Amino acid sequence: MVEERRWLAPGDFAEVLALCQFLPGPNVGNVSVVLGRRWFGLRGAVVAFVGLMALPLAWVFGLALLYADFSSHAEVRAVVTGVGIAGGGLFVGTAVKLSKALVRKPWALALAVACFAALALGRVSLFQVLPVALVLGWLLARRNLA
Amino acid sequence: MLQIALYFALLSLVSMGGMPSVMPEMQRVVVDVQGWMSAAEFTQLFAIAQAAPGPNVLVTALIGWKVAGFTGGMVALGAFCGPAAALAYSIGGFWDRMRDAPWRKTFQRALVPVTVGFIVSGGYVLATPAGLEWRSVLIAGAAAALLVLSRLNPLWILSGGGVLGYLLF
Repeated sequence: MVEERRWLAPGDFAEVLALCQFLPGPNVGNVSVVLGRRWFGLRGAVVAFVGLMALPLAWVFGLALLYADFSSHAEVRAVVTGVGIAGGGLFVGTAVKLSKALVRKPWALALAVACFAALALGRVSLFQVLPVALVLGWLLARRNLA
Repeated sequence: MLQIALYFALLSLVSMGGMPSVMPEMQRVVVDVQGWMSAAEFTQLFAIAQAAPGPNVLVTALIGWKVAGFTGGMVALGAFCGPAAALAYSIGGFWDRMRDAPWRKTFQRALVPVTVGFIVSGGYVLATPAGLEWRSVLIAGAAAALLVLSRLNPLWILSGGGVLGYLLF
């Protein structure tokens, strides 16, 4: 959209993306809604969203049906499990990249570790962890510790 | 199915930083609380959503599909995207006006450590369907290291995970 069609400037695109990464919900889905609305109102938002999701959805269901047929084979299960574990590893890598902003902020790092301990190890509900974590994060950010 | 719809709608509104941050919670409820599938099956569904082109929110459609068929899949996806999309729709203009407000910057900084903790948790629960054992740690660790240290396309990393999975499991 930025490079080929020139529908919007790169800086503008970055701004919209930043908003949508911060908002709850799928990032790309939110980008489509915000841009669709800006250009064509409510109808634009709906069309952009459906257009973005329709084809990938068909792909995913196709693959899932295929997998359902073959999942009785141990080899197929092993490959797909490996892909899933690598996908989990990609999440960890993404978090490591994000945490470069926290290198000199031990309190913020401690908060991240505490979130991990509660959610992944303690298996506490997100709805209990999130409010506490947000308040602590807010206090740290106010004192420039995050 | 109603249970899925309500629960995913609720998750939708707290998924700050996108899909990865609610992954641990989704897995906890689907696997531990409701027992809709095993941890291994959850990781496999996630793998399918990752490997297919398109946004990884589509894993919500697969979870719904596994639990309540095709309709369940559409309901789950709609429930997860709908509330957040409505929020994005209504807040877009407001957010632009607040561009220079100090509280917005504070809030954004506050979110960084929280999001980091949540995303690592999501990766951890996905990568350890059989508990913490060396094969999972090896594959996930290699994938994380490659993403951070190289400019390799993530699809290659996922493919490598598939090969290692075939050899090790």
